[in-house]
Amino acid sequence: MDLKWSEAIDGLGPSLLQGVVVVLQATIISFILAALVGLLIAMCRLSKWKVIRGVFVVFVEIIRGTPLLVQLFYIYYVVPLLLNHLLASGGTQPNIQFTALSAGIAGMTINYGAYISEVFRSAILSIDTGQKESGLALGFTQLQVLRKIVIPQALRNSIPVLGNYLVMMIKDTSLLAVISVSELLLRTQTYASQTFQTIESYTILAVVYLILSLPLAHIMKMIEKKFHVEN
Amino acid sequence: MSETKQSMLTITKLSKYYGKNHVLKKVNLNVKKGEVVCIIGPSGSGKSTFLRCINLLERPSSGSIFYQDNDVLDGKWKTNEYRQHVGMVFQGYYLFPFKKVIDNITMAPRTLKNKNKAEAEVEALELLKKVGLADKDDVYPASLSGGQKQRVAIARALAMHPELLLFDEPTSALDPELVGEVLRVMKGLAEEGMTMVVVTHEMGFAREVANRVIFMEGGYIVEEGAPEEIFGNPKNERTREFLARVL
Repeated sequence: MDLKWSEAIDGLGPSLLQGVVVVLQATIISFILAALVGLLIAMCRLSKWKVIRGVFVVFVEIIRGTPLLVQLFYIYYVVPLLLNHLLASGGTQPNIQFTALSAGIAGMTINYGAYISEVFRSAILSIDTGQKESGLALGFTQLQVLRKIVIPQALRNSIPVLGNYLVMMIKDTSLLAVISVSELLLRTQTYASQTFQTIESYTILAVVYLILSLPLAHIMKMIEKKFHVEN
Repeated sequence: MSETKQSMLTITKLSKYYGKNHVLKKVNLNVKKGEVVCIIGPSGSGKSTFLRCINLLERPSSGSIFYQDNDVLDGKWKTNEYRQHVGMVFQGYYLFPFKKVIDNITMAPRTLKNKNKAEAEVEALELLKKVGLADKDDVYPASLSGGQKQRVAIARALAMHPELLLFDEPTSALDPELVGEVLRVMKGLAEEGMTMVVVTHEMGFAREVANRVIFMEGGYIVEEGAPEEIFGNPKNERTREFLARVL
Protein backbone atom coordinates (compact mmCIF):
# COMPACT_ATOMS: atom_id res chain seq x y z
CA MET A 1 0.00 0.00 0.00
CA ASP A 2 1.20 3.44 -0.87
CA LEU A 3 0.19 5.81 1.93
CA LYS A 4 0.79 9.53 1.50
CA TRP A 5 0.97 10.63 5.13
CA SER A 6 2.86 13.87 4.69
CA GLU A 7 0.67 14.91 1.80
CA ALA A 8 -2.45 14.16 3.81
CA ILE A 9 -1.15 16.07 6.82
CA ASP A 10 -0.25 19.07 4.66
CA GLY A 11 -3.52 18.95 2.80
CA LEU A 12 -5.94 18.18 5.63
CA GLY A 13 -4.06 19.74 8.55
CA PRO A 14 -4.93 23.43 8.09
CA SER A 15 -8.57 22.61 7.50
CA LEU A 16 -8.69 20.44 10.61
CA LEU A 17 -7.16 23.25 12.66
CA GLN A 18 -10.09 25.44 11.65
CA GLY A 19 -12.36 22.52 12.49
CA VAL A 20 -10.83 22.29 15.96
CA VAL A 21 -11.83 25.91 16.57
CA VAL A 22 -15.41 25.07 15.58
CA VAL A 23 -15.41 21.97 17.78
CA LEU A 24 -14.10 23.86 20.80
CA GLN A 25 -16.58 26.66 20.24
CA ALA A 26 -19.50 24.25 19.99
CA THR A 27 -18.35 22.21 22.96
CA ILE A 28 -17.60 25.06 25.32
CA ILE A 29 -20.74 27.05 24.57
CA SER A 30 -22.99 23.96 24.63
CA PHE A 31 -21.45 22.69 27.84
CA ILE A 32 -21.92 25.94 29.72
CA LEU A 33 -25.47 26.34 28.47
CA ALA A 34 -26.26 22.68 29.13
CA ALA A 35 -25.01 23.01 32.71
CA LEU A 36 -27.26 26.05 33.24
CA VAL A 37 -30.23 24.37 31.55
CA GLY A 38 -29.54 21.24 33.57
CA LEU A 39 -29.53 23.14 36.86
CA LEU A 40 -32.73 24.94 35.90
CA ILE A 41 -34.50 21.71 34.96
CA ALA A 42 -33.25 20.05 38.15
CA MET A 43 -34.72 22.88 40.22
CA CYS A 44 -38.01 22.69 38.35
CA ARG A 45 -38.16 18.95 38.90
CA LEU A 46 -37.70 19.53 42.63
CA SER A 47 -40.36 22.24 42.64
CA LYS A 48 -43.28 21.93 45.00
CA TRP A 49 -45.69 22.54 42.13
CA LYS A 50 -46.82 19.30 40.56
CA VAL A 51 -47.49 20.81 37.14
CA ILE A 52 -43.97 22.16 36.77
CA ARG A 53 -42.50 18.85 37.90
CA GLY A 54 -44.72 16.98 35.45
CA VAL A 55 -43.83 19.18 32.49
CA PHE A 56 -40.13 18.64 33.01
CA VAL A 57 -40.42 14.92 33.67
CA VAL A 58 -42.05 14.60 30.24
CA PHE A 59 -39.49 16.91 28.65
CA VAL A 60 -36.53 14.99 30.03
CA GLU A 61 -38.03 11.66 28.99
CA ILE A 62 -38.64 12.88 25.45
CA ILE A 63 -35.08 14.11 25.12
CA ARG A 64 -33.55 11.01 26.66
CA GLY A 65 -35.77 8.74 24.61
CA THR A 66 -34.74 10.15 21.22
CA PRO A 67 -31.30 10.18 19.62
CA LEU A 68 -29.27 13.38 19.54
CA LEU A 69 -28.91 12.87 15.80
CA VAL A 70 -32.67 13.04 15.32
CA GLN A 71 -32.90 16.05 17.62
CA LEU A 72 -30.30 17.86 15.51
CA PHE A 73 -32.26 17.25 12.31
CA TYR A 74 -35.42 18.34 14.06
CA ILE A 75 -34.00 21.60 15.33
CA TYR A 76 -32.21 22.45 12.08
CA TYR A 77 -34.94 21.53 9.60
CA VAL A 78 -38.28 21.19 11.41
CA VAL A 79 -38.27 23.94 14.02
CA PRO A 80 -37.73 26.78 11.50
CA LEU A 81 -40.57 25.44 9.36
CA LEU A 82 -42.87 25.29 12.35
CA LEU A 83 -41.90 28.77 13.49
CA ASN A 84 -42.42 30.24 10.06
CA HIS A 85 -45.78 28.57 9.85
CA LEU A 86 -46.86 29.72 13.28
CA LEU A 87 -45.66 33.28 12.84
CA ALA A 88 -47.15 33.69 9.38
CA SER A 89 -49.96 36.21 9.62
CA GLY A 90 -51.76 38.19 6.98
CA GLY A 91 -49.58 38.51 3.95
CA THR A 92 -46.24 38.46 5.74
CA GLN A 93 -44.26 35.28 5.53
CA PRO A 94 -41.34 35.26 7.97
CA ASN A 95 -38.21 33.49 6.96
CA ILE A 96 -36.60 32.19 10.11
CA GLN A 97 -33.53 30.04 9.65
CA PHE A 98 -30.86 28.83 12.00
CA THR A 99 -27.23 28.67 11.09
CA ALA A 100 -25.99 25.10 11.27
CA LEU A 101 -23.68 25.88 14.18
CA SER A 102 -26.36 27.57 16.30
CA ALA A 103 -28.80 24.73 15.63
CA GLY A 104 -26.05 22.32 16.62
CA ILE A 105 -25.31 24.21 19.82
CA ALA A 106 -29.03 24.35 20.63
CA GLY A 107 -29.38 20.60 20.08
CA MET A 108 -26.39 19.69 22.21
CA THR A 109 -27.50 22.13 24.91
CA ILE A 110 -30.96 20.63 25.15
CA ASN A 111 -29.78 17.04 24.90
CA TYR A 112 -26.98 17.32 27.41
CA GLY A 113 -29.05 19.68 29.57
CA ALA A 114 -31.60 16.89 30.03
CA TYR A 115 -28.94 14.39 31.07
CA ILE A 116 -27.12 16.87 33.29
CA SER A 117 -30.39 17.78 35.01
CA GLU A 118 -30.60 14.19 36.23
CA VAL A 119 -27.06 14.44 37.59
CA PHE A 120 -27.85 17.65 39.46
CA ARG A 121 -31.20 16.38 40.65
CA SER A 122 -29.79 13.27 42.26
CA ALA A 123 -26.84 15.26 43.64
CA ILE A 124 -29.21 17.75 45.26
CA LEU A 125 -31.36 14.94 46.66
CA SER A 126 -28.30 13.21 48.08
CA ILE A 127 -27.37 16.14 50.32
CA ASP A 128 -28.10 15.19 53.93
CA THR A 129 -31.29 16.80 55.30
CA GLY A 130 -29.20 17.69 58.34
CA GLN A 131 -27.26 20.13 56.16
CA LYS A 132 -30.49 21.90 55.24
CA GLU A 133 -31.81 21.84 58.77
CA SER A 134 -28.63 23.25 60.25
CA GLY A 135 -28.84 26.07 57.69
CA LEU A 136 -32.48 26.71 58.50
CA ALA A 137 -31.72 26.64 62.23
CA LEU A 138 -29.14 29.39 61.73
CA GLY A 139 -31.89 31.53 60.25
CA PHE A 140 -31.33 31.15 56.53
CA THR A 141 -34.41 31.08 54.32
CA GLN A 142 -35.20 27.99 52.25
CA LEU A 143 -33.84 29.74 49.17
CA GLN A 144 -30.61 30.77 50.90
CA VAL A 145 -30.13 27.21 52.16
CA LEU A 146 -30.53 25.96 48.61
CA ARG A 147 -28.19 28.55 47.12
CA LYS A 148 -25.49 28.65 49.75
CA ILE A 149 -25.47 25.19 51.26
CA VAL A 150 -27.18 22.60 49.09
CA ILE A 151 -26.26 23.62 45.54
CA PRO A 152 -22.56 24.27 46.20
CA GLN A 153 -22.24 20.75 47.62
CA ALA A 154 -24.35 19.21 44.87
CA LEU A 155 -22.23 20.90 42.19
CA ARG A 156 -19.02 19.67 43.76
CA ASN A 157 -20.37 16.15 43.92
CA SER A 158 -21.38 16.38 40.26
CA ILE A 159 -17.95 17.35 38.93
CA PRO A 160 -16.75 13.81 38.07
CA VAL A 161 -19.87 13.07 36.01
CA LEU A 162 -19.84 16.50 34.39
CA GLY A 163 -16.24 15.85 33.37
CA ASN A 164 -17.30 12.68 31.60
CA TYR A 165 -20.08 14.52 29.83
CA LEU A 166 -17.66 17.20 28.66
CA VAL A 167 -15.40 14.61 27.06
CA MET A 168 -18.40 12.86 25.50
CA MET A 169 -19.59 16.19 24.19
CA ILE A 170 -16.35 16.93 22.38
CA LYS A 171 -16.69 13.61 20.58
CA ASP A 172 -20.41 14.10 19.93
CA THR A 173 -19.70 17.29 18.00
CA SER A 174 -18.91 14.91 15.14
CA LEU A 175 -22.68 14.44 14.84
CA LEU A 176 -22.98 18.06 13.80
CA ALA A 177 -21.53 17.04 10.43
CA VAL A 178 -24.98 15.80 9.45
CA ILE A 179 -26.42 19.28 9.63
CA SER A 180 -23.45 20.66 7.72
CA VAL A 181 -21.46 22.23 10.53
CA SER A 182 -17.93 22.25 9.17
CA GLU A 183 -16.41 20.47 12.10
CA LEU A 184 -13.72 17.81 11.90
CA LEU A 185 -15.64 14.89 10.41
CA LEU A 186 -17.21 16.86 7.59
CA ARG A 187 -13.86 18.41 6.66
CA THR A 188 -12.20 14.99 6.67
CA GLN A 189 -14.97 13.47 4.57
CA THR A 190 -14.65 16.21 2.02
CA TYR A 191 -10.89 15.88 1.82
CA ALA A 192 -10.96 12.08 1.67
CA SER A 193 -13.50 11.97 -1.10
CA GLN A 194 -11.50 14.40 -3.17
CA THR A 195 -8.09 12.78 -2.71
CA PHE A 196 -8.96 9.14 -1.99
CA GLN A 197 -6.50 9.28 0.91
CA THR A 198 -9.13 7.50 2.96
CA ILE A 199 -6.88 5.65 5.40
CA GLU A 200 -4.68 8.66 6.05
CA SER A 201 -7.53 11.12 6.45
CA TYR A 202 -9.62 9.16 8.91
CA THR A 203 -6.57 8.07 10.90
CA ILE A 204 -5.52 11.69 11.25
CA LEU A 205 -9.08 12.55 12.29
CA ALA A 206 -9.06 9.89 15.02
CA VAL A 207 -5.72 11.13 16.30
CA VAL A 208 -6.98 14.71 16.45
CA TYR A 209 -9.96 13.60 18.55
CA LEU A 210 -7.60 11.72 20.85
CA ILE A 211 -5.37 14.78 21.19
CA LEU A 212 -8.43 16.80 22.15
CA SER A 213 -10.09 14.40 24.55
CA LEU A 214 -7.21 12.78 26.43
CA PRO A 215 -5.76 15.96 27.96
CA LEU A 216 -9.29 17.15 28.71
CA ALA A 217 -10.04 13.99 30.65
CA HIS A 218 -6.82 14.54 32.54
CA ILE A 219 -7.65 18.18 33.30
CA MET A 220 -11.09 17.15 34.56
CA LYS A 221 -9.45 14.65 36.92
CA MET A 222 -7.33 17.45 38.33
CA ILE A 223 -10.33 19.74 38.78
CA GLU A 224 -12.18 16.88 40.42
CA LYS A 225 -9.36 16.44 42.90
CA LYS A 226 -9.17 20.13 43.66
CA PHE A 227 -12.86 20.41 44.49
CA HIS A 228 -13.21 17.13 46.25
CA VAL A 229 -14.28 17.59 49.85
CA GLU A 230 -14.49 14.83 52.35
CA ASN A 231 -17.58 14.62 54.42
CA MET B 1 -49.70 37.97 82.31
CA SER B 2 -46.66 38.86 84.40
CA GLU B 3 -45.71 35.19 84.17
CA THR B 4 -45.26 35.50 80.39
CA LYS B 5 -43.23 38.67 80.77
CA GLN B 6 -40.47 36.99 82.71
CA SER B 7 -40.27 33.95 80.56
CA MET B 8 -38.32 33.64 77.38
CA LEU B 9 -40.26 30.75 75.94
CA THR B 10 -43.78 29.68 76.76
CA ILE B 11 -45.18 26.60 75.13
CA THR B 12 -48.76 25.61 75.74
CA LYS B 13 -50.58 22.39 74.83
CA LEU B 14 -48.22 21.56 72.00
CA SER B 15 -49.26 18.52 70.00
CA LYS B 16 -47.68 16.89 67.02
CA TYR B 17 -49.13 14.19 64.83
CA TYR B 18 -47.43 12.29 62.04
CA GLY B 19 -50.48 11.01 60.25
CA LYS B 20 -52.33 9.14 62.98
CA ASN B 21 -49.22 8.79 65.10
CA HIS B 22 -49.57 11.14 68.06
CA VAL B 23 -45.97 11.94 69.08
CA LEU B 24 -46.48 14.96 71.31
CA LYS B 25 -49.48 15.19 73.56
CA LYS B 26 -50.35 18.68 74.80
CA VAL B 27 -46.92 19.45 76.17
CA ASN B 28 -46.35 22.61 78.20
CA LEU B 29 -43.02 24.24 78.87
CA ASN B 30 -41.91 27.53 80.30
CA VAL B 31 -38.28 28.57 80.06
CA LYS B 32 -37.02 31.65 81.85
CA LYS B 33 -34.06 33.71 80.82
CA GLY B 34 -30.80 32.15 81.96
CA GLU B 35 -32.40 28.83 82.75
CA VAL B 36 -30.95 25.47 81.68
CA VAL B 37 -33.63 22.86 81.06
CA CYS B 38 -32.62 19.27 80.37
CA ILE B 39 -35.08 16.90 78.75
CA ILE B 40 -34.47 13.22 79.42
CA GLY B 41 -36.40 10.12 78.52
CA PRO B 42 -36.27 6.88 76.53
CA SER B 43 -35.84 6.99 72.77
CA GLY B 44 -39.12 7.49 70.97
CA SER B 45 -40.48 9.52 73.85
CA GLY B 46 -40.91 12.60 71.67
CA LYS B 47 -38.18 14.68 73.25
CA SER B 48 -36.28 15.40 70.02
CA THR B 49 -39.53 16.14 68.17
CA PHE B 50 -40.45 18.51 70.97
CA LEU B 51 -37.12 20.31 70.68
CA ARG B 52 -37.45 20.53 66.90
CA CYS B 53 -40.91 22.01 67.31
CA ILE B 54 -39.44 24.86 69.35
CA ASN B 55 -37.56 26.30 66.35
CA LEU B 56 -40.18 25.02 63.92
CA LEU B 57 -38.02 22.46 62.15
CA GLU B 58 -41.15 20.46 62.87
CA ARG B 59 -44.43 22.27 62.49
CA PRO B 60 -46.59 21.65 65.58
CA SER B 61 -50.06 20.29 64.83
CA SER B 62 -51.67 22.39 67.56
CA GLY B 63 -50.83 24.43 70.60
CA SER B 64 -48.96 27.70 70.95
CA ILE B 65 -45.38 28.88 71.21
CA PHE B 66 -44.62 32.32 72.56
CA TYR B 67 -41.07 33.60 72.33
CA GLN B 68 -40.50 36.74 74.38
CA ASP B 69 -44.19 37.58 74.07
CA ASN B 70 -44.29 37.04 70.33
CA ASP B 71 -46.59 34.41 68.94
CA VAL B 72 -44.28 32.30 66.85
CA LEU B 73 -47.04 30.42 65.08
CA ASP B 74 -49.31 33.28 64.02
CA GLY B 75 -47.38 33.87 60.82
CA LYS B 76 -46.62 37.53 61.50
CA TRP B 77 -43.06 36.82 62.45
CA LYS B 78 -41.08 35.21 59.65
CA THR B 79 -39.83 31.79 60.69
CA ASN B 80 -36.29 32.43 59.49
CA GLU B 81 -36.09 35.65 61.50
CA TYR B 82 -37.37 33.91 64.61
CA ARG B 83 -34.75 31.18 64.15
CA GLN B 84 -31.99 33.81 64.16
CA HIS B 85 -32.76 34.25 67.86
CA VAL B 86 -32.81 30.56 68.67
CA GLY B 87 -29.66 28.58 67.94
CA MET B 88 -29.55 24.84 67.56
CA VAL B 89 -26.86 22.20 67.91
CA PHE B 90 -27.55 18.80 66.37
CA GLN B 91 -26.47 15.29 67.21
CA GLY B 92 -24.85 14.96 63.77
CA TYR B 93 -23.00 18.36 63.90
CA TYR B 94 -23.84 19.12 60.24
CA LEU B 95 -20.93 21.44 59.63
CA PHE B 96 -20.71 22.57 56.01
CA PRO B 97 -18.01 20.25 54.63
CA PHE B 98 -17.02 22.50 51.71
CA LYS B 99 -16.18 25.44 53.94
CA LYS B 100 -13.27 25.90 56.29
CA VAL B 101 -14.03 26.07 59.99
CA ILE B 102 -13.81 29.86 60.06
CA ASP B 103 -16.19 30.20 57.11
CA ASN B 104 -18.62 27.78 58.73
CA ILE B 105 -18.80 30.22 61.61
CA THR B 106 -18.86 33.49 59.69
CA MET B 107 -21.29 32.46 56.96
CA ALA B 108 -24.52 33.14 58.87
CA PRO B 109 -23.55 36.48 60.46
CA ARG B 110 -22.06 37.73 57.19
CA THR B 111 -25.14 36.81 55.20
CA LEU B 112 -27.89 37.42 57.71
CA LYS B 113 -26.48 40.24 59.83
CA ASN B 114 -24.48 41.96 57.11
CA LYS B 115 -21.28 41.80 59.09
CA ASN B 116 -18.18 42.48 57.06
CA LYS B 117 -15.64 39.71 56.62
CA ALA B 118 -12.96 41.09 58.95
CA GLU B 119 -15.37 41.84 61.75
CA ALA B 120 -17.04 38.44 61.49
CA GLU B 121 -13.68 36.67 61.45
CA VAL B 122 -12.40 38.44 64.55
CA GLU B 123 -15.50 37.30 66.36
CA ALA B 124 -15.27 33.79 64.95
CA LEU B 125 -11.71 33.46 66.23
CA GLU B 126 -12.86 34.54 69.68
CA LEU B 127 -15.59 31.94 69.60
CA LEU B 128 -13.13 29.28 68.51
CA LYS B 129 -10.92 30.22 71.42
CA LYS B 130 -13.89 29.93 73.71
CA VAL B 131 -14.62 26.36 72.56
CA GLY B 132 -10.91 25.50 72.79
CA LEU B 133 -10.16 25.32 69.07
CA ALA B 134 -8.22 28.53 68.49
CA ASP B 135 -5.83 26.86 66.06
CA LYS B 136 -8.44 25.14 63.88
CA ASP B 137 -9.82 28.11 61.98
CA ASP B 138 -8.08 27.30 58.71
CA VAL B 139 -8.92 23.60 58.34
CA TYR B 140 -11.85 21.78 56.78
CA PRO B 141 -14.32 19.99 59.08
CA ALA B 142 -13.27 16.58 57.71
CA SER B 143 -9.96 16.82 59.56
CA LEU B 144 -11.64 17.32 62.94
CA SER B 145 -12.67 14.71 65.50
CA GLY B 146 -16.34 14.40 66.45
CA GLY B 147 -15.86 16.36 69.63
CA GLN B 148 -14.07 19.13 67.75
CA LYS B 149 -16.79 19.22 65.10
CA GLN B 150 -19.46 19.57 67.74
CA ARG B 151 -17.56 22.40 69.40
CA VAL B 152 -17.28 24.18 66.05
CA ALA B 153 -21.04 23.64 65.62
CA ILE B 154 -21.57 25.33 68.98
CA ALA B 155 -19.35 28.24 67.92
CA ARG B 156 -21.27 28.48 64.64
CA ALA B 157 -24.56 28.72 66.52
CA LEU B 158 -23.12 31.30 68.95
CA ALA B 159 -21.97 33.52 66.09
CA MET B 160 -25.59 34.55 65.53
CA HIS B 161 -25.81 35.72 69.18
CA PRO B 162 -28.82 33.57 69.97
CA GLU B 163 -30.74 34.27 73.17
CA LEU B 164 -31.77 30.65 73.44
CA LEU B 165 -29.77 27.57 72.47
CA LEU B 166 -31.32 24.20 71.71
CA PHE B 167 -29.19 21.06 71.95
CA ASP B 168 -30.48 17.86 70.37
CA GLU B 169 -28.48 15.03 71.95
CA PRO B 170 -25.21 16.85 71.26
CA THR B 171 -22.98 14.07 72.56
CA SER B 172 -24.85 10.96 71.45
CA ALA B 173 -22.80 10.49 68.28
CA LEU B 174 -19.46 10.93 70.04
CA ASP B 175 -16.89 8.43 71.17
CA PRO B 176 -17.06 8.23 74.98
CA GLU B 177 -13.69 9.91 75.48
CA LEU B 178 -14.83 12.96 73.46
CA VAL B 179 -18.05 13.59 75.35
CA GLY B 180 -16.37 15.50 78.17
CA GLU B 181 -14.89 18.25 76.02
CA VAL B 182 -18.31 19.10 74.55
CA LEU B 183 -20.08 19.01 77.89
CA ARG B 184 -17.42 21.31 79.38
CA VAL B 185 -18.14 23.90 76.69
CA MET B 186 -21.87 23.60 77.33
CA LYS B 187 -21.34 23.94 81.05
CA GLY B 188 -19.28 27.06 80.43
CA LEU B 189 -22.15 28.55 78.42
CA ALA B 190 -24.61 27.73 81.19
CA GLU B 191 -22.38 29.47 83.70
CA GLU B 192 -22.29 32.57 81.51
CA GLY B 193 -26.07 32.67 81.74
CA MET B 194 -27.02 31.29 78.34
CA THR B 195 -30.58 30.03 78.24
CA MET B 196 -30.51 26.42 77.08
CA VAL B 197 -32.87 23.55 76.39
CA VAL B 198 -30.90 20.33 76.18
CA VAL B 199 -32.17 16.94 75.10
CA THR B 200 -29.61 14.56 76.50
CA HIS B 201 -28.74 11.10 77.70
CA GLU B 202 -25.96 12.50 79.88
CA MET B 203 -27.52 12.19 83.30
CA GLY B 204 -24.42 13.51 85.00
CA PHE B 205 -24.64 16.71 82.98
CA ALA B 206 -28.37 17.09 83.65
CA ARG B 207 -27.86 16.59 87.36
CA GLU B 208 -24.95 19.01 87.55
CA VAL B 209 -25.88 21.79 85.14
CA ALA B 210 -29.66 21.85 84.74
CA ASN B 211 -31.90 24.14 86.74
CA ARG B 212 -34.79 21.95 85.79
CA VAL B 213 -35.06 18.40 84.47
CA ILE B 214 -38.00 17.17 82.41
CA PHE B 215 -38.72 13.49 82.02
CA MET B 216 -40.68 12.64 78.87
CA GLU B 217 -42.23 9.39 77.83
CA GLY B 218 -44.80 8.44 75.20
CA GLY B 219 -45.24 12.06 74.08
CA TYR B 220 -46.06 13.32 77.58
CA ILE B 221 -44.08 15.24 80.13
CA VAL B 222 -44.29 12.69 82.90
CA GLU B 223 -42.42 14.60 85.56
CA GLU B 224 -40.44 17.78 85.92
CA GLY B 225 -38.55 19.38 88.70
CA ALA B 226 -35.18 20.40 90.08
CA PRO B 227 -32.44 17.86 89.29
CA GLU B 228 -32.08 16.85 92.92
CA GLU B 229 -35.80 16.00 93.00
CA ILE B 230 -35.85 14.08 89.72
CA PHE B 231 -32.65 12.17 90.36
CA GLY B 232 -32.85 12.01 94.15
CA ASN B 233 -36.50 11.43 94.78
CA PRO B 234 -38.49 10.81 91.60
CA LYS B 235 -42.22 10.73 92.34
CA ASN B 236 -43.45 8.96 89.26
CA GLU B 237 -43.10 5.24 88.79
CA ARG B 238 -42.11 5.65 85.12
CA THR B 239 -39.34 8.08 86.03
CA ARG B 240 -38.01 5.70 88.64
CA GLU B 241 -37.96 2.83 86.17
CA PHE B 242 -36.19 4.88 83.54
CA LEU B 243 -33.56 6.18 85.91
CA ALA B 244 -32.99 2.71 87.32
CA ARG B 245 -32.20 1.54 83.78
CA VAL B 246 -29.86 4.35 82.79
CA LEU B 247 -28.03 5.16 86.01
